[in-house]
Amino acid sequence: MQVRRLPSGGRIDRDRPLAFRFNGKGYMGFSGDTLASALLANKVRLTARSFKYHRPRGIMGSGPEEPATLVELEGRHASANRAATTVRLEDGMAARSVNCWPSPGLDLGAVSQLFAGLIPAGFYYKTFKWPGWRLYEPAIRRAAGLAGAPDAPPQDGHFEAVHAHADVLVVGAGPAGLMAALVAGRAGCRVFLADERAEAGGSLLDRRLEIAGGPALDWVAETVAELTSMPNVMHLQDATVWAYREHNFLMVNERSPANPSIQERNWRVRAGHVILATGAIERGLVFPDNDRPGVMLASAAQAYVNRFAVKPGERAVVFANNDSAYAAAANLLASGVDVAAIADSRDAVPGHASDIAGDIPVMAGSVVTGVRGQRSVKGATVSGRDGRGASTIECDMLLHSGGWNPAVHLFSQSRGSLRYDESLATFVPDEAAQACVSVGAAAGELSLASALRTGAEAVARTTGTEMPDLPTATGESYAITPLWRVDAPGAKGRAFLDIQNDVTVDDVHLALREGYDNVEHVKRYTTGGMGFDQGKTGNINIIGTIALQKGVPLQDVGATTFRPPYTPVSFGAIGGIREESVVLPYRHTPVTRWNLDHGAFMYEAGARWRRPGYFPRGDETFQETVNRECRAVREGVGVYDGSPLGKFELKGRDVGRFLDHVYTNLMSTLEPGQCRYGFMLTEDGLILDDGVAMRLGEHRWLVSTSTAHADTVNGHMEELLQTQFPAWNVYVTTVTSQWNNATVCGPKARAVVAALGTDIGLSPEELPFMRFADGHVAGLPARVVRVSFTGELSFEINVAPRHMRELWERIMETGVPFGIEPVGSEASHVLRVEKGFLSLGHEVDGTVDAHDLGMGWIMSRKKADYVGKRSVELRRRSKAVRRELVGLLPVDKKIQIPEGAPLTPGGEKRPSEGLVTACVWSVVLNRWVALALLENGKSRHGETVHVRLKDATIAADVMEPVFYDPDGRKMRS
Amino acid sequence: MGYDASFERLPINACFDLKGSESALGEWMGAELLPGFPTEANRCCKADGLSLDHVGPCRWLLQADIDREAELNAALRPHAAPAEASIVRISDTMTTFRVAGADAAHVLAIGCPLDLHDTAFPEDAVSFTEFFGHKALVRRCAGGFDVSVEQSFGDMTEDCLARALR
Repeated sequence: MQVRRLPSGGRIDRDRPLAFRFNGKGYMGFSGDTLASALLANKVRLTARSFKYHRPRGIMGSGPEEPATLVELEGRHASANRAATTVRLEDGMAARSVNCWPSPGLDLGAVSQLFAGLIPAGFYYKTFKWPGWRLYEPAIRRAAGLAGAPDAPPQDGHFEAVHAHADVLVVGAGPAGLMAALVAGRAGCRVFLADERAEAGGSLLDRRLEIAGGPALDWVAETVAELTSMPNVMHLQDATVWAYREHNFLMVNERSPANPSIQERNWRVRAGHVILATGAIERGLVFPDNDRPGVMLASAAQAYVNRFAVKPGERAVVFANNDSAYAAAANLLASGVDVAAIADSRDAVPGHASDIAGDIPVMAGSVVTGVRGQRSVKGATVSGRDGRGASTIECDMLLHSGGWNPAVHLFSQSRGSLRYDESLATFVPDEAAQACVSVGAAAGELSLASALRTGAEAVARTTGTEMPDLPTATGESYAITPLWRVDAPGAKGRAFLDIQNDVTVDDVHLALREGYDNVEHVKRYTTGGMGFDQGKTGNINIIGTIALQKGVPLQDVGATTFRPPYTPVSFGAIGGIREESVVLPYRHTPVTRWNLDHGAFMYEAGARWRRPGYFPRGDETFQETVNRECRAVREGVGVYDGSPLGKFELKGRDVGRFLDHVYTNLMSTLEPGQCRYGFMLTEDGLILDDGVAMRLGEHRWLVSTSTAHADTVNGHMEELLQTQFPAWNVYVTTVTSQWNNATVCGPKARAVVAALGTDIGLSPEELPFMRFADGHVAGLPARVVRVSFTGELSFEINVAPRHMRELWERIMETGVPFGIEPVGSEASHVLRVEKGFLSLGHEVDGTVDAHDLGMGWIMSRKKADYVGKRSVELRRRSKAVRRELVGLLPVDKKIQIPEGAPLTPGGEKRPSEGLVTACVWSVVLNRWVALALLENGKSRHGETVHVRLKDATIAADVMEPVFYDPDGRKMRS
Repeated sequence: MGYDASFERLPINACFDLKGSESALGEWMGAELLPGFPTEANRCCKADGLSLDHVGPCRWLLQADIDREAELNAALRPHAAPAEASIVRISDTMTTFRVAGADAAHVLAIGCPLDLHDTAFPEDAVSFTEFFGHKALVRRCAGGFDVSVEQSFGDMTEDCLARALR
């Protein structure tokens, strides 16, 4: 029964009743309601418990400023920590209060109020230290907290993130924003208008004002209709602009997209100009027990009666220090609420305010010093500011207004500066840092007429168009005398500055006493302003409290930095469609499908390529599979897909000397048809990549890189060419995906390639190691390269991707009589370790150089300079102890050493002298073998070293880092 | 209900990456081969089934149907071009998706940060940009857009597009 629903009025649709549940109990509301308005209509007053002290709380605001009632939505639209005032009511909705158990009415956590004195601001810095904070932390976090994230994705629909561009982005569809959008739209600009409420109108929805001699909402409807008719205007409601980033890049969270399959959409808008018509937010007053259910912002109560046709209570006391609360009181009175009194802290109430109050008793120079009732307001104690004449007025609702703060959050996020305005007693936008302008209440222009005017002016200036004729508007005036806290004698009880984070005046005083006297320090020490609501109602009261306590002007205290998001945003909306299979990028080769069809275990193996790790058969274990694949390569023939290797074609007169500069060894001496293995270093002499350079012609070269570092090498080369050698004639073209390759390797590799049919001579004389030849293989245009990563005779058959699948299938078919096996990354890893070939990320760990790896021969002494040369020489000149590559044979050959395990002297708890970089089961040695980086390793062959594990040590003999074919005869064969 | 748009993966085009000065390339290839160099960056010139896209400083892409690849390769003679002209066949490097329909621009905008409004991206516009986080070449086509991504990202892009169209 909606006992507090007015019989008429409001922006709700009484023909569309909606059923919903709150804390397990069923209620009814109407379309157009928020969860908060529906709860108030049903006379639900106790809706939450506070964050820290578990104090009873009710609904205090009517929009995103709501600091008290956070709910967890259940079921279809499960989401957590939503302000009840921003949740649009839907049929069948289920919600429950956060941070209370079993209910807000009977909350066991409320026991914390008994020892509230022990847990002031920053208590966790000083208490619960013995025997250790971690002992208490879980319980404290459970007790003080919010709802967790939903444990499952949305049951229907999905999220979307989308880019947009606009000449003018207007934030807010209140009077100033609508006027700005109208002028911009008429000027032909591409306009993006976004407003956080369900319908346009902003504060006009909550108040009873007139424009052009008629109801303001008629003007709103006409304006919206005109905007809708403009193809150059994008108008979104229920869409919050929540972040303002560099270069006028803003984020807009649309919660009710027209496409019903989309739950939320996040717009990423790049705007030429931004008009910030974000309005103003009423702040509360600071008095004892100002958090009791029934204590509400005056503007919120006004919104409930006018917009939602809900009486938030039956009898109200209004407490204010400014004029705006008078209109709220008058609206409530007109809606049947008994307004017992207006307690105004000002000594003199302006005449126009008194006129609005009409018959409502006005108590000038008065303050509220206390609230009666714990779970619901039952009365307010009012006295003079000096504490005299205290009396208690019975009421079920205490409405308060401490003045209005322009919503400067986005302006501040854009790095615009703020200044304190004495007449408004608040901070207003000052210098803009980006192409934006604040208009209307967001700029401190609090009257309706000035909102319309500043909205139009801003766009007229931006677009160079003439000011339109402005409609007349209800005259309003606003005056305020700041009251930062009630400190009248007799005022006792906790006075909250930040309702959401339970930060009191005493907390701020404590922070100041303990030396945290900068506003940013106070914020962090007390957590004031750091809740979901970002201190929308309380921040400036904290600043005012600091100013009062320190005896300095507010301008000198300054404001804290506002950060995104302005209001909470679903992670899903930020991620958009990037979920499930597309959370991370992935790359396929033309053979990927074949791999999957043949049971390959796939995983990412560098640069987002999904590659086959191994091809299990039947009941094989992982190790059995890898052993089988390794034996195929060592004893017969195997083939792997080497397509992901980075490939770049370089063209130009200066390519030779350029490659000499980027590689450590000499490349310019290569003849066409020759390849050479080389290292690239970073400027600090560390290994950037290893790869192969091939000379295709006089001025054409092909550089092959590791898979993982292809993009890095590309960037490295381009940077050098664009910054150091802009005059050199070198062009780099990425051809990684123009060439795929199937590498046939093993003693029978030559026979398989020959069986495929080729016009390329395959004999060692015709195509020796480190040579390549162009021709045809299996009837396909191909380039065959004699390089080897396995230590075996290898033919890397490169073809265009359009031919790769055919080539692969032909190889597998032709290779059957030879016992060919597809080989995954795991076997490749074993084979390269047996051969002692390095791997970036294993042996090349960001500390070693070529000398450490026993590859000093690759550091050319003939060249005057190359990237990294000087750094290597300087580093080695220090004669510091180096970790050098060695081979390890575990003394017990059946013991595997974990990769990355540390080596310590004697296996004792002493500083590490190295680490194991790789350990594999060698099919040729029939035992575990490892590679390691060991201090002075090259001079320690024959020693026994020790791997230190958590609960064991492993002894291993040091040897040369090569376990197979040390002179390379097989791969050169 | 999804969007009023659809996508398809197109067959590969003949595509040659041209780098060098206009004069060096023009001199080597001959004016009669090319449809003419676009006068602005990120614009294309089309003629006789060829499209020459200006995609970067001293960089163009020459595209045609794949059945003309051999013909173009013979005419361009990449292997014999002078040092000042880089001509590389890259027909296989990109996979192209055609996104068409009334909501094509919105679907594109889900993955692409480029301003594709016709005032900013006219009929002859062509540009490298991003599509679902990867480098992509975008151009207009009848009723929509053609988006080319690096071939190895083709399956993922298809996955993303299918999700975007829901």
